[in-house]
Amino acid sequence: MRVRGRWAFVTAALLALVLIGSALATTAGHRAAHAKAPIIIGWAFDGTGNMAPFDGPALAAAKLRVNQVNAKGGVNGRMLEIRTCDTQSNNAATAKACALRLLGQKADVLFTTCDVDLAAPVVRAAIDRGVLAIAPCIGTDQMGPKRFGTKGRLAFSFGNVAQDEGSAMAQYAWSRGWKTAGLATDTVIVYFKNVVQAFEARFKQLGGKIVASETYQSLGGNNVQNAVSRLNAVKAGVYVTATAGAFGALSTFVTGLRTLGNNTPILNSWAGDGTYWLPSNPKVTNYWFVTFASCFGDDPSPAINALASQVKAGTGGFITGPSAIDGLVTAIKRAHGSTKGAALSKVMEHFKKVPTISGNISFSAKLHTVFGRRYRVIRIQDNVPKVVGTIVAKVVPKI
Amino acid sequence: MTLAFLGMNWQTLADAVSLGAIYALMAVGIGLVFGVLRLVNFAYGQLVMAGAYALAFAYDHGWPVSVGILLCFAVVLTLSLLLDRIVFRPLRAHSPAVMLVATFAIAFLLQSIALLWFGPLGKISASLAALNQPVTISGVDIRKIAIVATALAAACLLALVLLLGRTRVGLHMRAAAMDFRTAELLGVRAGRVITAAVLVSGVLAAIVAVMLTVQTPLVTPDFALRDTILVLAGVVLGGMNRLVPATLGGFAIGFASGLLGGALPTNWSQYLPSFLFAAVILVLLVRPGGLFTREGQRAAERV
Repeated sequence: MRVRGRWAFVTAALLALVLIGSALATTAGHRAAHAKAPIIIGWAFDGTGNMAPFDGPALAAAKLRVNQVNAKGGVNGRMLEIRTCDTQSNNAATAKACALRLLGQKADVLFTTCDVDLAAPVVRAAIDRGVLAIAPCIGTDQMGPKRFGTKGRLAFSFGNVAQDEGSAMAQYAWSRGWKTAGLATDTVIVYFKNVVQAFEARFKQLGGKIVASETYQSLGGNNVQNAVSRLNAVKAGVYVTATAGAFGALSTFVTGLRTLGNNTPILNSWAGDGTYWLPSNPKVTNYWFVTFASCFGDDPSPAINALASQVKAGTGGFITGPSAIDGLVTAIKRAHGSTKGAALSKVMEHFKKVPTISGNISFSAKLHTVFGRRYRVIRIQDNVPKVVGTIVAKVVPKI
Repeated sequence: MTLAFLGMNWQTLADAVSLGAIYALMAVGIGLVFGVLRLVNFAYGQLVMAGAYALAFAYDHGWPVSVGILLCFAVVLTLSLLLDRIVFRPLRAHSPAVMLVATFAIAFLLQSIALLWFGPLGKISASLAALNQPVTISGVDIRKIAIVATALAAACLLALVLLLGRTRVGLHMRAAAMDFRTAELLGVRAGRVITAAVLVSGVLAAIVAVMLTVQTPLVTPDFALRDTILVLAGVVLGGMNRLVPATLGGFAIGFASGLLGGALPTNWSQYLPSFLFAAVILVLLVRPGGLFTREGQRAAERV
């Protein structure tokens, strides 16, 4: 009896030791992870200007994603930390000051605003110092070597390259049986122009016919009404444009056509996402756009819907923030934990269908902006948006 | 026939006339204040913007159109009077350059307030959107807004002519515009004259806000900014020192802008402001006093 009791005591003591040991090991592991310096993501965003509707939600969603990554132990044992700086309407001097301030805070990577012209001061500050520059949603092929030369190898965007987006729009138009198209190009930024150019190139490849080609300027230009009058005089299967509601001309364009009794489908890019610009008289009908994700709660991905409800985003562009975080995490892991710009860039140029929350993404040595992403197609009818399908561009046309 | 040859249609012509009419109203608003105060009010566009935001605010809250328009007038007139009391009156003794810089400051201040208050996305103001619908006149479709804007501008200008020519306050305004000091010595109450000019200018800004929001329902902080710059150029083009030439200058630049916008291929129309400003420079080189002034009248009566 006494012997059995002694053995029981020894066994219990051993068990307790094992438990204490493992608990200590776990704590030590956590301490090690916390003890490692965090990976600092410097984020220069526009909090007040025209890009604020795009930058703000992407940043908010990225913060949530960072929390999720950190809850799982971070990246190779290092926590992610976002430090922000408001470029105040992307004033060039303020943007540069923001970049220098964030770099001064030892930022390993710099995130920037969603237009390549406006992002340039931040991008240059980063790549000149060998730091990776990432834009969540720039949509042109200029975010990379094409615009920034050799050092541009360190610049990437998780937005869709306009050529890919225009191509997807052309494919969708063709699949709907719209065989003729009237084009209305907003000339105010490169992305808008490139989307329409890519649409034209791909639509013609598919056998479509361009019956009109007009241009206008948003952001205060007063010639959109002229484009409307001219397009109205031409019968087309679809009118195609790429412009943002926040840039002012979209509501005039759509209202102008509809009040003339013209109910031809209007197809827009991600720029035309959102409902904030919708006039109520007449209500917007037969209006279509492709986008990264639906922010209206009906996206095919439940994870995106969950995030959308938390962020309360105005457009599907919010998903590019967490998508960029996913891509960065993959890059750091593949670079064996390095956060050096050159190492990350080398890895990212070889991204082929890398999974992120917004679908699989790819880059190449030439294209540092995403192609091959699955777009959501959303239709607005009587001011109500609804996902009506998805589409992936089969080719990226040269423009 | 001729219109078709020029690559235009009747709608383009009607749009050009209505844009000219709206710009003429803005020109009167700017010219009137310049006449009395010798102040080039660069912030005039922001008064229009404030009125447009008032319309958007009313629309946002589901208020009737009439209430929205009343709010628009109330906001613009209050703002005009406040600006006069707080900024222009204390600066009146200073040089025109100081006053001009002050209007720049006010313009940027109001723009920033709008940005912070309403955000960068803009607000929809679709209260009179029905005016965008076309009416068919002799087989030609013309938007109602083109007709309404033209008629309203004509009515406003007529009312202004009557005000200036047939009323005591109009007489005082003309006297003050001719020679402010002498008019004061002769018993014209300067404060009242200036208040009247500022109020009339505000009324015109509110009307312009209502008209512009019909065609451009999204109101953003830079709403009417480009229009104001064009109108200022038009006022200088017409002849800043006199109200009628200034108004004609405003109309001319709006009409030319609308007409060329319709006539030029749309991929050229983005260069339209460049053409217009080049034309303004050219005209001023040839006729420094203004396109619509007559010899010997340039330095005379300004209202």
